[in-house]
Amino acid sequence: MSFDFVEPVVFAVLAFGVIGAGAAVVLLDRITASALLMALTFLCMAGMFVLLGAETIAAFQVLIYVGAITVLILFGVQFTKQGGDRSYALFFQKQYPLAAALVAAVAIPVALFAFSFTAPAPPPGGGDIRPLATSVFTDYAFAFEVASVLLLAAMVGAIVLTTRDERAEAARRRK
Amino acid sequence: MTVPLGAYIAVSAGLFFIGCAGVLVRRNAVVILMCVELMLNAANLALVAFSRRFGAVDQRGSVFVIFVFVIAAAEVAVGLAIVLSAYRNRPVIDVDEIHQMKG
Repeated sequence: MSFDFVEPVVFAVLAFGVIGAGAAVVLLDRITASALLMALTFLCMAGMFVLLGAETIAAFQVLIYVGAITVLILFGVQFTKQGGDRSYALFFQKQYPLAAALVAAVAIPVALFAFSFTAPAPPPGGGDIRPLATSVFTDYAFAFEVASVLLLAAMVGAIVLTTRDERAEAARRRK
Repeated sequence: MTVPLGAYIAVSAGLFFIGCAGVLVRRNAVVILMCVELMLNAANLALVAFSRRFGAVDQRGSVFVIFVFVIAAAEVAVGLAIVLSAYRNRPVIDVDEIHQMKG
């Protein structure tokens, strides 16, 4: 039995996720929903990287984009909250049994599948991490160092920009 | 690879133009930052797809994706810090209203 049809189908689902969620980020008025749909876009993009055989990049994508950047943006949304954004999940907040049943309906099959899953033997050569690491730490070592300095500068800059000067603010308020 | 390269490039271009439209149309500063992230990610997909197809052994294109990740993280950190400090001065998030630095 051939599995040639699996890859186009998975690609179609992921492409639909990327384009649909990306369009929703732009079109939706509720900014928290935009941020969460941006995370969905990034997750579908990670799936595309796996489909392309770039597993390491997909792992970085999940760690940095879905993990760090989405959380950062959500904090930014919370700190700059404007009035008029409706609160969420009002329906499910009052329907605990229904919410629990829905979560269980998804979680139990996923858990059963995860425990019965047997992975095929990994390909020899260790996937794409070896060529990637070789390039980063030989030809692009200087760029790598510059990137780390850039991250440090961005971190210091973000702290400096957002630290409030308590005494100056109190003085301004007293005026 | 049974999915043609053109399909990946089409998705990448589509997401890029969605992000571009968002930057031009939306006026919420945080949404504009999100749309810039979408555009960067679309570029990443194009880089990885071309690197898989044409970069024979060493996958040089994927290395650039790592640097794009670094730039994106730095950009969103500094961008949000700027938005927050502007918001603290005057509680508006609409980029049309933030014009006190206009010369």
